Amino acid sequence: MIVCGALVVAPTSTVYAPQELARKLVALDYGNGTAYAGLQMLEGAMPREAITTCAAATSPAERFAGLMRGDFEATVLQEPWITVAEKAGCRLVSTTFFHGTWIAAPGVSAEAYAALLRALTRAVRRIKADKRRYVSYFIRDWSGHSEVTALSPDDFNLGRIQLKEPAPIPENEARWAWEWMASWGLLEGAFDATAQINRSLEREAHELAAAVRVG
Amino acid sequence: MAMTMTIERVMAFMGLDVLVARDEGLFEAEGLDLRIALLPSDEVRSAAEGTPAKPATNQGKLQARGEAEMFQA
Repeated sequence: MIVCGALVVAPTSTVYAPQELARKLVALDYGNGTAYAGLQMLEGAMPREAITTCAAATSPAERFAGLMRGDFEATVLQEPWITVAEKAGCRLVSTTFFHGTWIAAPGVSAEAYAALLRALTRAVRRIKADKRRYVSYFIRDWSGHSEVTALSPDDFNLGRIQLKEPAPIPENEARWAWEWMASWGLLEGAFDATAQINRSLEREAHELAAAVRVG
Repeated sequence: MAMTMTIERVMAFMGLDVLVARDEGLFEAEGLDLRIALLPSDEVRSAAEGTPAKPATNQGKLQARGEAEMFQA
């Protein structure tokens, strides 16, 4: 699954481009992929010393509410809250995409992992063939929230809903992610591919998955 | 006999493929009994409690104590 993250400002904000967020408070859900996506979007627009963030709730509903109250200048959101924010007149000043990465315990069998991969591959193909049919899942996740339940499938920008069939993680991408996180003090030590990625299990699972034709 | 696997909870924004595969019987068709485990609500911490260097995350907690085999980061 590919996740879309967006840096969002309130309708009344004077910010139109990410560099205008320099030294302005941006609320991030530290520890989650969306927060790191937010940090990377900011880092692409300004020097690190100009990045000013505060801890925000894990729930994008709470981050959106805080944005609308004016608790901070911007926050990072994912779907369906990006769509909610747009409907409320908020502006996206930057968007990015990132991979969701599966982390497996050492005891996972190659056969079970392969079955998971085949099922996910089929699901990805079905969703890509008719994304509009499946956007109701984004609404279903937030059934108690009127801002979300007011959305219709036509409100969603399908370009923000991207899926990719599961594949082994390229070593250079894993290394870049590690080194980037280490540069922010989130990880310590040098990247060690053999410690982080069980290539033997990964290869066996993907070979088993590929051996069965996925329709 | 079906294989079993427990994963940590996913939501559509990062696990739409998992949810569709579950609802449309795609795991079952592969002989996989996929279970989705939820962290007890009293153990869920908000990211607002964390700091950039010491984030408060819920990901991986179930896997760390052997109650899930996979999670998505």
